[in-house]
Amino acid sequence: MLKQVGKAEIRVDGPAKVTGRASYPQDLYMAGMLYGKTLRSSKPHAEITIDTTEAEGLKGVIKILTFKDVPHNHYGVLFKDHEVFCSKKVRSIGDPIAFVIATSEKIAHMAIEKIKIDYRELPGVFDAIEAMQSDAPKIHDKGNLIYHYKLRRGNVESAFDRAAAVAENTYRTSMVDHAFLQPEAGLAYLEGSQVVVCVATQYPHFDRQEISEALALPLDRIKVINPAVGGAFGGREDITLQIHLALAAILIGRPVKAVYSREESFAAHSKRHPMVMTYKTAADAEGKLIAMEASIVGDTGAYASWAINVIRKAGVHATGPYVIPNVKVDSYVVYTNNPFAGAMRGFGATQVPIAHEQQMDILAEKLRLDPIEFRLKNCFKPGDRTATGQLLHHSVPLVECIDKVSEWMNQNTGADGGAIE
Amino acid sequence: MKEISLRVNGEERSAEIHEEMRLLDLLRDALHLTGTKEGCGEGECGACTVIMEGKTVNSCMVMAFQAEGKEIITIEGMATKDKLHPIQRAFLEKGAVQCGFCIPGMVLSAKVLLDENPIPTRDEIREGISGNLCRCTGYNKIVDAIETAAGYLNTGGDSNA
Ligand code: FES
Ligand code: FES
Repeated sequence: MLKQVGKAEIRVDGPAKVTGRASYPQDLYMAGMLYGKTLRSSKPHAEITIDTTEAEGLKGVIKILTFKDVPHNHYGVLFKDHEVFCSKKVRSIGDPIAFVIATSEKIAHMAIEKIKIDYRELPGVFDAIEAMQSDAPKIHDKGNLIYHYKLRRGNVESAFDRAAAVAENTYRTSMVDHAFLQPEAGLAYLEGSQVVVCVATQYPHFDRQEISEALALPLDRIKVINPAVGGAFGGREDITLQIHLALAAILIGRPVKAVYSREESFAAHSKRHPMVMTYKTAADAEGKLIAMEASIVGDTGAYASWAINVIRKAGVHATGPYVIPNVKVDSYVVYTNNPFAGAMRGFGATQVPIAHEQQMDILAEKLRLDPIEFRLKNCFKPGDRTATGQLLHHSVPLVECIDKVSEWMNQNTGADGGAIE
Repeated sequence: MKEISLRVNGEERSAEIHEEMRLLDLLRDALHLTGTKEGCGEGECGACTVIMEGKTVNSCMVMAFQAEGKEIITIEGMATKDKLHPIQRAFLEKGAVQCGFCIPGMVLSAKVLLDENPIPTRDEIREGISGNLCRCTGYNKIVDAIETAAGYLNTGGDSNA
């Protein structure tokens, strides 16, 4: 069983990928296939009415799908807060409103231009802190606050009173796109009593469930095939075109293909949560961290996706890899009218180092300590306990890592600033 | 509609094209050479790289009619029936392939680089693939692979070199 461990093996899909034989969804073609194109909202918050009459009259247009065609018009990983097609209102730019099925991509494009959307704009909110105010425009029926994670350990107030140095600052991170190299694409067709959807995805089993729920079809009527996936990084955890394609193939009975442009790809999938992080961190005269208080607000945009898990993870990792006896963390995640945020590499743990590491540098300066020494004094070692109470009794090779990095930094300080390839 | 002929991977090919067709569409939709990828459609990512008259081009930025009478090499033209090109082999051996979507373009850019400069430095390799984006590998292993491939090619491309 352990034949391969410790050996450099050639990956099984490698030969197909270096020769161009690997099939990504856009590489699939079928005889008689039709093309699908999505009409997306151009407004961040508005009530809508949709008129497809003129577009339907275009030669080569087979059908235009809207919310009226979807048996259960919703999906979503944690909450079913996305609509397959917006029915009454749009909540962010890029929300899908209609799906044109036509004999060519060009005709589908032309038909999109001919669909009339009457937008009655609503006040929007684009800042996570503003979205928490009681009078902020509501994105969904309930309030904008989705989740509040609390972490309490010791007593931060009394620790701040006896601190030798305190740093208090607010940090903001931006929205980030995965920009995987292969834009979303898919092909759906009927095979006996089943609808087959070929799509690059991180969760074929979950996609199948989402399609089944939205289309009110039993699971065994749906097959999801995951051909080669051109990168994902969390950005293929939510549904994009899966339900649209399945519905199109079922209603028309012919294969239907859709390929997103790079621009549409940006509009269609999740982003990394932007966060506003207010930190107060304190150390004693010996350079030991004694307290940290943090408030973290994440912007999940118009849909929750993995918001709860991401913001909980940000809260759990808020201290960074440091022993701090007194900790108070509140992390919140809220809806806004921004593009929705979800999973992206690190899942909430990527944003907090922007804050906790700058806090470490600022405190080291205040204490007149070398920033590396300051980190070594406070970082996790075997036998330590994290702020959430976890006892670290296995390997914690952080000291070795910091030592190695500082050794390399001291060796490689040439004209290029010590860049290590 | 217009019929054009061109040489693709050493073979004489002809295809019906229309005026809006890009070389990328000609290769993928008309000739079914889907190893050439579209990552952006605007000349930024290099996934659609092919070799035209010995030079790399972004096939999304070349119109199909411009390829009339030209000599084109796509990724499908790199390996022979039973043997990978040394560049392809080096990519596999060095772990330079992850999702693979950038790889056809990378391999073709590497070919032109090594045709013109058989012993490139690592910086020259980086320069040579600067028009090709990869979101997975972080590039280092791709640079390793091209360095290794240069070695193979300079010793005759033998698989045991
Ligand atoms: S698809 Fe041609 S450069 Fe990106
Ligand atoms: S291997 Fe995925 S983009 Fe390069």
